[in-house]
Amino acid sequence: MSDKIGIYVCECGPNISGRVDIDRIIAEISNLEEFSDKELIVKPHKLLCSVGGKAFLEEEIKNNELTHLVCAACSPRDHDTTFINVCKKTQLNPYMYTIVNIREQCAWIIPDKEKATDKAIQYIRGGIDRVLYQEPLFEKQLESNPDVLIIGGGMAGLTAALVLAGKSRNVYLIEKTSILGGKAALFSEFLPHQSDIADLKNKIKEVENNQYIRIFRNTELEKIVGFLGNFEIVLKQNQTGDTTDLLAGAVILANGYELMDARELDNFKYTDADNVFTGLEIEEMLTSQGKITLRSGEKPRSAALIHCVGRKEAGYCSQVCCNYLLKTAGYLLKQVPGIEIIDLHQDLCQPHTEDQAYFESFKEKGMQFCRVQEVALDGNKIEYVNMAGEKKEIAPDMVIIAPAMKATASNEALSALTSIDLHETGFFQEAHIKINPVSTKTDGIFIAGASRGPCDISEAMIQAQAAGGKILTQLIPGEKIIPEVKVSEILEAYCTGCKTCLDVCAYGAIYFDNERGISVVNEAICRGCGNCVGSCPSGALRSRHFTNLQLYQQVKEALR
Amino acid sequence: MNPSDKILVIGSGIAGMEASLMLSKAGKKVYLVERLPLIGGNVIKTGESFPNMDCSTCLVAPIQQLILQDKNITVLTVSKVEKVIGKAGNFGVSLTKKARYVNIAACLGCGMCYPVCPVSQPNFWEQGLVEKKAIYVECAGSLPNVPVIDPSLCLRLNGSEECNLCAETCIFGAIDFSEKDELLEENFAAIIVATGFSTLDARIIKNLGYGKFAGVYTAYEIERLLASNGPTEGVIKMRDGERIPEKIAIIHCAGRKEVGYCSNVCCSYPSRYAHFLTEKVPGVKIFDIYGDLCFPDKAYQKLNYETRKEKAEYLFSADLEKLEISEESDKLKIKYPDAGNQHKELLVDMAILAVAITPPAGLEDLTELLEIERDKYGFVKAETGSVNTTRDGIYVAGCATGPRDIQSSVLQSEAAVGQILRFLQD
Repeated sequence: MSDKIGIYVCECGPNISGRVDIDRIIAEISNLEEFSDKELIVKPHKLLCSVGGKAFLEEEIKNNELTHLVCAACSPRDHDTTFINVCKKTQLNPYMYTIVNIREQCAWIIPDKEKATDKAIQYIRGGIDRVLYQEPLFEKQLESNPDVLIIGGGMAGLTAALVLAGKSRNVYLIEKTSILGGKAALFSEFLPHQSDIADLKNKIKEVENNQYIRIFRNTELEKIVGFLGNFEIVLKQNQTGDTTDLLAGAVILANGYELMDARELDNFKYTDADNVFTGLEIEEMLTSQGKITLRSGEKPRSAALIHCVGRKEAGYCSQVCCNYLLKTAGYLLKQVPGIEIIDLHQDLCQPHTEDQAYFESFKEKGMQFCRVQEVALDGNKIEYVNMAGEKKEIAPDMVIIAPAMKATASNEALSALTSIDLHETGFFQEAHIKINPVSTKTDGIFIAGASRGPCDISEAMIQAQAAGGKILTQLIPGEKIIPEVKVSEILEAYCTGCKTCLDVCAYGAIYFDNERGISVVNEAICRGCGNCVGSCPSGALRSRHFTNLQLYQQVKEALR
Repeated sequence: MNPSDKILVIGSGIAGMEASLMLSKAGKKVYLVERLPLIGGNVIKTGESFPNMDCSTCLVAPIQQLILQDKNITVLTVSKVEKVIGKAGNFGVSLTKKARYVNIAACLGCGMCYPVCPVSQPNFWEQGLVEKKAIYVECAGSLPNVPVIDPSLCLRLNGSEECNLCAETCIFGAIDFSEKDELLEENFAAIIVATGFSTLDARIIKNLGYGKFAGVYTAYEIERLLASNGPTEGVIKMRDGERIPEKIAIIHCAGRKEVGYCSNVCCSYPSRYAHFLTEKVPGVKIFDIYGDLCFPDKAYQKLNYETRKEKAEYLFSADLEKLEISEESDKLKIKYPDAGNQHKELLVDMAILAVAITPPAGLEDLTELLEIERDKYGFVKAETGSVNTTRDGIYVAGCATGPRDIQSSVLQSEAAVGQILRFLQD
């Protein structure tokens, strides 16, 4: 079949036609010598993206039996999808079409009409030569498994499990320890203004009784390979070493946080014998013995709360400590009437609407609040410098500190297993910090709770529901997965097995076939970013729809 | 159509858009209702957004395009919810789709019609910094890129003259004076309230002089002055259109006392403003007067450290509530107690108020007709760690539940979708 190329020039009302010479474009493109052996159909249209324009394009493709299509119009951001959808209604493979931007890149930025027209003609020539070297590509449909693996049995993991588990979807919930509930299980009480959080014990019971949730205690992830809809997973029981093989379509990493050990900091010196406790230790003490006491068993008569411990070193504010230290102050005020409490903080971070009123209530109870520039601890002796630069010393009976929340060692282990990036703070890196906060760069792997950054229980629960929402949207039982088709491919004969591409692939989409000594692209994971193509020293990698030849022809014609 | 396949999303900001796209992806039909003539919400007012200084338009425009091109999403701009009956799984909803007087299918957004319109009005979307005509788009790059006619001001529509200037200019014949408001009746399985926020009217904060002194600006005025599609196309000039500020003070927590809560997003403004102001106004000196700093994300504090090191002088005040702004010839005098509670003064050309976030205009009426409760601050009430409102089947996402950043708004909308799909599955 001979090539028949349709070139349609959109006037975009006055947007293009007012600033480039449409007639000259039509005349010059119709008579290009270098394409004289091809059949070119060149036509203008008032507005290609309009209902009439799309119908016109569809008729043209069908009636002329076009083999290639060039739309000279606007930015692909505006209407690439529009024209691809038109192609999909016809015999023309959508990858045999290209858009040339003569609006933003010509009409709108070049005041001289003749020069703008010249540039538009060059760009269209480039587009024609590119499209001639394009190849039809075909979407594949893959079966998908709707089940979900959740790593971590804390508040985030439990919440996500309850959103996801149902008749058509199993959830595998794995927990490293023997206990469900995570750090929240240590809490004696929740914040008074968050006391409506459903009873944790009931939540755990609900998860345990759900027939679609299978719980693996004392279990960790051993191995995971695959992609959205098709992950092959191996779990390992910590104590017995037994392994379990599973299939799942998506994974949520909800493996929580730990507290920085304040004794690692230069200015915090204390031993287990001193009356220095972290906020969490106070919660544990209350839960186990029902009251807060000094190590001697006596009641403290004075206490100091130290915020922001390790904040500078960590590089971020942990945002939950201001509230929970107040909560411990609340316990103390209730149990030891008349106790003197001083609160030493750098900033007060009160991100929820109710937080400020909670804080004000402690001011009313006579607690002393002092903003500090620096604070050092030696046993129960505290030296601090207030904002006016005055140095002070105090030695309260009890010191309660709020060390920074930090990522656990399991973040690193999971990052190695899943190839999900870690943020410079050690927490998981989201796909986009603002508009895609629970997704990761790998489709099908999600993050929720404090392993993606400091957050309180309410936010961990929201994130867990968000990850659940993402999965319910992307992994619908019975529906097939359609992976990206514009991906990289390896020309096996050229691959020397140097493995450079394995290092540059951000998605873990390339693996090495030891038997054949070559790299192999997993097309279901590849996003077509092209990193590997640029890095391949032997030219064995090729980016479909963005081949060197296609780009070279386009540039060559444009610069002719 | 079965109501279980249809969801109503009220508000087309980042939260509403994210929820709509996700629901569409899950095969649901979405009605996205917006009271303004454009979609995108408050995010598109910011030139660049924290913490990675993404150009907000570049971030959001592709999302807006996806919304407008999505076959599962019916976008109703200049529209309003009138009445809701029924219960979760099958709400009967009446909606008014107000007349736009411009045919969306025929209009190309070429912009030929506004210059000829003889009537002007203040553009409040642009914080009142410029005027717009009776036929207008709020800003360059509005999506849908189709103007709307204000019927109360249009000479022809309000009956004062037989003006036909815009219709005569339009070569696409898109102006349609005969368009009428439409009342739509639809059934929906669930509703998401994502109506965003307003900011406190800075005039009520007496000691800061907003509205009295020309040099005092609110944060959102600065957003529009910094934005390349704003009234000055990103050029920083004072209100007289001439002076370029040499010294600028950014005041934190403006109105925090009045509203009674921390708005938790404002601490990030100075880093952003300092970043762009130092670029746009060479030699500018920036002061940042603060009480508390609130950075609720792992990535936020770092930028603040960098700003303090290189771009702005941070001045701690022991009592921001005592800060006072007055005018001294063409300068502003800022008096505040410093760290040691000592009286300090600072002379600047411009003061920027990081004004408190408040419930959006109209939320009171909307919550009443939806029969959902508000909290004591006027935001939609949701349980802790939940996006459920006090009425089954109605969910809330974004700043309608309280001040939050883009990330947190998106998280809530994704969570609301999770709850809806969970509910529809059972």
